[in-house]
Amino acid sequence: MNYIVKDLMVPISDYATISEGSTFLDALLALEPPNVDLGARIHPHWIVLVLDSNEKVVGKLSQINMLRALEPTTEDVKNIDKLSRFGFGAHFITQLRENLRLDDTSIESMYTSSEILQMKVEDFMKELADNDFIDENTSLATAAHQMSVRKRLSMLVTREKEVIGILKLSDVFTAVIHAIKSTTG
Amino acid sequence: MKSIQKLYDRIVQRANINLRELEFDVNPYVQNFIPFEQMIKFYAFFGISPHHRLNFQFKQSNLAGSYFLGQCKITNSLLYKSDIRGDELKKEGDLFQYQGFEIPVSRDEEIDITDSLLIKTLVHNFSHDPETLEEFFIKDTISMNYANIHGAPSDGCFLGAFATVDLTTMRDSVIGNFAYVQAGEISHLDIAPGTVWVRVPGEFNFMYTHPQDELKHYIYFTAGIAPQGQLIDFVEDRKEAFQRVFDVVNIEHSIPVPNSASLDRYAVSKPPIHIGENVLVSQRAFLQNAWLGKGANAQENCYIINSRLEGCNVTAHGAKIIEADMGTNVFVGFNSFLKGGPDSRLNIGKDCIVMPHTIIDIKEPLEIPEGHLVWGMIKSEKDLKRHSIAIEDFTKIDGGFSMGNMFFEGDGASFIGGFKERIHHILEANGAFFNGGDKKGHAQKNQYISFNTLQPYPEGPKKGLYPTIVIKP
Repeated sequence: MNYIVKDLMVPISDYATISEGSTFLDALLALEPPNVDLGARIHPHWIVLVLDSNEKVVGKLSQINMLRALEPTTEDVKNIDKLSRFGFGAHFITQLRENLRLDDTSIESMYTSSEILQMKVEDFMKELADNDFIDENTSLATAAHQMSVRKRLSMLVTREKEVIGILKLSDVFTAVIHAIKSTTG
Repeated sequence: MKSIQKLYDRIVQRANINLRELEFDVNPYVQNFIPFEQMIKFYAFFGISPHHRLNFQFKQSNLAGSYFLGQCKITNSLLYKSDIRGDELKKEGDLFQYQGFEIPVSRDEEIDITDSLLIKTLVHNFSHDPETLEEFFIKDTISMNYANIHGAPSDGCFLGAFATVDLTTMRDSVIGNFAYVQAGEISHLDIAPGTVWVRVPGEFNFMYTHPQDELKHYIYFTAGIAPQGQLIDFVEDRKEAFQRVFDVVNIEHSIPVPNSASLDRYAVSKPPIHIGENVLVSQRAFLQNAWLGKGANAQENCYIINSRLEGCNVTAHGAKIIEADMGTNVFVGFNSFLKGGPDSRLNIGKDCIVMPHTIIDIKEPLEIPEGHLVWGMIKSEKDLKRHSIAIEDFTKIDGGFSMGNMFFEGDGASFIGGFKERIHHILEANGAFFNGGDKKGHAQKNQYISFNTLQPYPEGPKKGLYPTIVIKP
């Protein structure tokens, strides 16, 4: 089968959305449906789309955005983080972060910090750029190429200028396997 | 003035193009702080001696108050009260050691400054870039007050006030105020103010960053605000003493100087002063009630006040030592600010290494034991404990180490060995080991320099520009 993007995408209606101005906690609650079964590892689509007042998608929140928002931003942490730009090794930096975590008990409370939970989504969402979008009629090969070179786990699918769905890397990869099997088998 | 303004616009534009990726606009940093009126007032001067090559080329530039020695070419540039010292450049036939290679130098090296604006900047040493051994280039670069470009070719960079780049080729980078970089090669980096970074890839990596809030008391300079803070005040307070030195054509120091030592005629010396054998005092150094033992030196923009240096002390470019007693072989790195008081003397034991850009500012007496490595910002005994370590202990580091805001990764012995080797080289180059016959260095060679002056067009469309001048033997 010659897949195109609209065959593989998940409709936007399947995704949680929140408005600009919402908090980290709002995003968290929107992301986690009540029936999530962590034990069985059944996860929903782990993305929340952020809409502006015109209901237009202006950003998205993935797991990585949420985890990054939880990162402490003290001067000590910033000083350690910048070391990677100056040629220090990853192992050394990881060790410094671990030592800091052990020394700084305030980090323990980061999951309950009201400062973090009340952060506005605009402060940590991924703002959308041109290369976050893909047209619904794009071929599987081109979609796979774009996700690979743009290092995307998901892309927003458009019809004209309207966002109609999400293309996930896992679905693209599954389709690629299918395509390979059907040609070799 | 129009010519100078046009030149300024051209330089700023070229620097901005190079720094566009960092989204750094140099204009607000410099536009109101360039002393255009002063640039017409001051003469430039150059040294000639039997010990230094003579090859100057000045073209379409302003050179106000700047000093030149050795082999330099200046084109389309504005140099204000800067020192361009080409007395350590490589010679034709020298062999440059690099990563196990011996690369022959094909012609005498020259300092080549093009499309650049240097304010009260020191340029010294030689290119350590194996790709440009014969050319120590500085192009499309702007450097601010009391920056040091030391053995560091530069293309498209901005150096803040009191910044130092040492033995490093830099491209398209911003070096923040009071930052020190010695890293071999850097590109497209924005170095925060007060960063002290020393790296030899594969061997070691040292980094310290001054606390920004505290650093602002010493040096603060940002877009739209002129350089200010204790360091600027300190230098400005002593500016007048230099005025006289530069105004008088022939000046005789009243201080006895041994035959093996050199006290530059453009240095300020306020008695009582003791100059020992093999001492080097460079131009724009400031001595007041200072005792310099055998082989000690005070390089450009150094201040040594109410202090005693026992001997073989390196006081690197821009370092300031006030109310302090230093044992033998103490190294004080670039732009360090070591300030004791009459009732709170600073005592630094022999063989200590004070890292470049260290600040010690104390209200109580402080003693640093011999053989210690010292860095950072120290205002008390407690700070000293967090910003120093016995050199012997440091040499045992193999892997990662951190202390407060200082991070080190690699071989501690290699780091210390590199420093000691360099200190030895500096002392040797400065003539500290002169024995009456051999081992001459700057202290002995600089005694035979005579100075000549150059002046710009006083009026007309080229007002402020110096005529094209070529000076050869």
